[in-house]
Amino acid sequence: MSVLTCTEVRELAPELALGILGGAERAEVVLHVNGCARCQAYVSELTEAADAIPQLVPEHEPPAGFEDRVLHALDEGRRRSRRRWVASIAAAAAVAAIFSITIVRVVESDDTSNVASGPTATSTSAGPVKPVAVAMQGGPNDTPAGWAYVANGHGVAVSISYSVSSAVPSGNYGIQVTPRKGAPTTIGTMTIDATRGSWTGRSPEALGAGSRIALVDAAGHEVCHGTVPAAE
Amino acid sequence: MWTVSDDALVAGLASGDRDAASAFVRRFQRRVYGLARTIVADDRAAEDIAQEAFVRAWKHAGAYDPRRGSVVGWLLTITRNLAIDAVRVRRPVAFDPVALLGLETPSADRDLAELAELSDDTTRLRAALVKLPEEQRRAIAMAGLLGYTAREVGEIEGIPLGTAKTRIRTALIRLRAVLVEESTE
Repeated sequence: MSVLTCTEVRELAPELALGILGGAERAEVVLHVNGCARCQAYVSELTEAADAIPQLVPEHEPPAGFEDRVLHALDEGRRRSRRRWVASIAAAAAVAAIFSITIVRVVESDDTSNVASGPTATSTSAGPVKPVAVAMQGGPNDTPAGWAYVANGHGVAVSISYSVSSAVPSGNYGIQVTPRKGAPTTIGTMTIDATRGSWTGRSPEALGAGSRIALVDAAGHEVCHGTVPAAE
Repeated sequence: MWTVSDDALVAGLASGDRDAASAFVRRFQRRVYGLARTIVADDRAAEDIAQEAFVRAWKHAGAYDPRRGSVVGWLLTITRNLAIDAVRVRRPVAFDPVALLGLETPSADRDLAELAELSDDTTRLRAALVKLPEEQRRAIAMAGLLGYTAREVGEIEGIPLGTAKTRIRTALIRLRAVLVEESTE
């Protein structure tokens, strides 16, 4: 339960409405507002005023071709979401297939009494290893650029998603991996288009904690990178 | 002339209608780009932000609730948040918050031209902002447009945190009073 009084919440409500209240203070105020209809109405009115401030900024004509570029990005987004949908069905089907194969093997072994301790069961009951998430960052200020994932040391997935694409322009980039005690190897290429791109594949060298994953441009310059952390 | 409402365009956007998407972009692109450009002060970055704002709007169009605010308010809030994220890593940027809101030149010609295009709410808010003391106007522009926290406003203005909070609070309460006044008239 919130420890703030209505008076204290009203002192902080303008900052909440403007979206500039952070951390614990914000949590306390939100908690109170959620349970207090009067403060909720007050915050709602302030939010209306706060949201109107950006509307005062003068309009400006965007560069030529802007509308076409936005529509192209929306078309790409639609295509990508359809692909994601298909991919998720395919992934679910693959998991189901693996599960089926495992069951078939156990049934074929005709040794259900030993399932828990037998070698087949040991290798399958462990289940998939949780991938290690690698935060990718790029641009002159090392801003967040997306995530890479490493599964079982070799499986690599890279997902780049910029809220602002100026850090890395659209184009093709090499995916370079460097084991902690090894030389860099390019294991594939990915395309970043309209601020996004993704890639999955394998690294021939095992990528443990301290290994690097980077995207490099045609000139060999790193545009974003991340370091594999220790597994949890 | 028959015009599709903003709400209907958002519904069309959510359903994947390309014509609706095109009309939506045409209707709001000058405001979205203008806001992004004003906050980040960089044409290239502003274009990226404006484009991303439309992509975000498309992704979340299905969740847009007209009871919680106007389409333009919703879209410009998305734009503002994206632009603030970009500015955070580019600071410090030289700016004049009051100039950003177009309040600095009380030219009669310009006011008339702009007033003709602005909604009543916007006109009244602008008038209310002009009447605020200079220090409150700066504080609300920094917080409401550029996303500066009260602490940051205090540091920039060289004033105690409590004073910064008071300036922000007083200014927003005055703007809110203008809107509430109008809705009860």
